[in-house]
Amino acid sequence: MKRPLQITLLALSGLGVLHASLFSDLYLRYVKEGMRPLLIASGALLLALAAAEAWWGRKEEAGARSEDAHDHSGTPKVAWLLLLPALSLLFYAPPALGAFTASREAPKTVAEEDHFDPLPATSPLPMTLTDFTQRVQQDREQAIKGRTVQLTGFVTPAGDGGDGWYLTRLILSCCAADAQSVKVRVHGVQAPPTDTWVTVTGRWHPSGALGTKSASAALDAHTITKIPKPTNGYTDAVPLTPLTPR
Amino acid sequence: MQKTEHLATRVDVEAGAERGDAVARPAHSWPRSWPLLLLAAAVLPGALLFAAGRWADEPAVQAWRTVCLAVTVQALPFLLLGTALSGAINAFVPARVFNRLLPKRPALAVPVAGAAGVVLPGCECASVPVANSLIGRGVTPAAAFAFLLSAPAVNPIVLTATAVAFPGSPEMVLARLLASLVTAVAMGWLWLALGRTEWLRPAVRHTGHHPGHSRWSEFRRGFQHDFLHAGGFLVVGAMAAATFNVAVPRSVLETFSGSPWLSVLFLAALAILLAVCSEADAFVAASLTGFSPVARLTFMVVGPMVDVKLIALQAGTFGRAFAIRFSAATTVVAILSSALIGAVLL
Repeated sequence: MKRPLQITLLALSGLGVLHASLFSDLYLRYVKEGMRPLLIASGALLLALAAAEAWWGRKEEAGARSEDAHDHSGTPKVAWLLLLPALSLLFYAPPALGAFTASREAPKTVAEEDHFDPLPATSPLPMTLTDFTQRVQQDREQAIKGRTVQLTGFVTPAGDGGDGWYLTRLILSCCAADAQSVKVRVHGVQAPPTDTWVTVTGRWHPSGALGTKSASAALDAHTITKIPKPTNGYTDAVPLTPLTPR
Repeated sequence: MQKTEHLATRVDVEAGAERGDAVARPAHSWPRSWPLLLLAAAVLPGALLFAAGRWADEPAVQAWRTVCLAVTVQALPFLLLGTALSGAINAFVPARVFNRLLPKRPALAVPVAGAAGVVLPGCECASVPVANSLIGRGVTPAAAFAFLLSAPAVNPIVLTATAVAFPGSPEMVLARLLASLVTAVAMGWLWLALGRTEWLRPAVRHTGHHPGHSRWSEFRRGFQHDFLHAGGFLVVGAMAAATFNVAVPRSVLETFSGSPWLSVLFLAALAILLAVCSEADAFVAASLTGFSPVARLTFMVVGPMVDVKLIALQAGTFGRAFAIRFSAATTVVAILSSALIGAVLL
C-alpha cells in the first residue's frame, strides 16, 4: 500500500471517529457515554499518525530505500476495509438499534430488589420500564396497585398476534452488539408506527397475581404522546425535561 | 498538491504499462479519455448509492450496519493501545529484558507469562499485536500465547465487571480467573508439546531496533503498520459478528438451555459467534438466566480467548494455518477447564 493511501486511511479514520465523538453525539448510537474520552483520544491519535507519516514518512522512505532494509509495502489489502467504518461514520451513520433488534431478543431479566421505598404521590408517576416491571413482579406491598404511571420508550410490535404492543427500551452493557431489551406490554391504545418514541400513561393491566412473578409487565393505557427520539436512547431513564407534544 | 501530482503520475505510469506503451508519457498529462472517466466518477457512485440506499434502509441491514460499526468503534481505542504497546516493545525494549524477566525454561516461562496477563488492562483486541511483538523480541511462542489468552480474561477491569454483573456470587469471579488461567497455561504447554513453528507466519517486520535508525521512527512505523493491518482484520471480524448477531436471534438459542451438556456447548458456540468484548461479556452472561452457572462460566472463559473477531485478527497476524488450529484447540481446552472448575466451585 502506497504512502498517500496510508495517510488517507489514517486521516479518514481519525476524522470519522472525531466526527462521531467530538463534534456530534453519533457515538451514542453505538457505544456507551463513558467511551467518549477514549474515542476523542483515538481520533486525535489517528490524525497525528497521518500527519507524522505525511511529514516524516517521505524522508524515511527515501532513507530506507537506499539501504534496501525496510519492507514498507507490507501493509496488506485488508487495511482498505477501514474505509467502510470511517466513511460510514462521516457520511452515512446507521441509526441506533430499535424495534428490529428488540423483537428478536428475549427481554432482559430485571434485577431482584429486596426492598421497595414508598412510591411518591405524584400522578401520573414517571417511571422507568425496569422500575415498573420490578414493582409489578416483586413488590409484595403492591404499591403500584391503582396508580397511574407514565412510561417512555419506543414502539415494538407484539408479533404474536395477541392484543397490544410493546413499549421498549434497549440497554447496553458495553456496545450495541450486546443490547438487551426491557419491554412493557401496552393495551388499550392503537400501536403507533414501529420505532416511534412515545410516552404512555396508564395503570397496571391486571393479569396474574400482582407482586409475584406471575404478574405480567403490562399497562392499560389512557393517553399516548409522541416524543422526539432521545440522543442517548440506550438507557432506561425517566426523561428529565417536561414532555411537550410534537 | 504534491500528493495529487504523485497520484496522477502513478496512474499514468500504470496505464502506460498496461497498454505496453514503449513511449514514456509526459509526467503531468491526464489519460485521453478523462472527460468520460470524470463523468463516470460523478454519476456511477450516485446511482449505486441510490440503489444501495433503498436496500440499506431495511431494518435488518440497518441493524447489521449498526452492530458492525458498534463493534469496530468499541474495539478501536483498545486496538490502538495494543498496537502502540506492540510498537513500543519492538522499538524501545531490548530483548534481554524479557530474557531476564522470564524463566529460562519454556515450561516455567508459560505460567509466568500467563499470570503476567493481569497487567494489560483492555480487551482481547489489544493482546494479539502485543503477543506478536513479544515473539519478535525473542519470547518463546508458548509463553507469548499464554499471555495472549490470559490477558483479556484476567485483568482487573474484566474481573471487576464480572463482580458487578454477578452481584453476591464472588465464586463466579474466582472461577473465571482460575478457568482462564488454567486454559492459558494449558495451551502454552500444549504448544510446547505439539506446536510447530512453520504454522506461524514468519515475522518479517518485527525485528526490533536496528542500530543507526531512530527508535522513534521505528516506533511510529511499527505502530502505523500494525494498526492498519489489525484494523482491517478487526473490520472483517466485526462484520462476521454482526452477521451472526442479526441472523441468529438469541431467543432461539435459549431453547437449548434445558440439557446441561448441550447448554455448555451452545454457550461456547455463542461466545465465539457473538464476539462480545471481554469487558462486557459478563453482563451478557448474567442475562442468559435460563442457563446453568457452568454454561455461563464457559461463555465468559471461551469468549475472550476465541471469537470470530479474534480468529480474523490472529489469521492476519500469525497466519491462517495457526489461527485455525490454535482456536480449535483453545475452544476444547477452555470448555474442559471451565466445566471442571465450574463443577467444583459453582
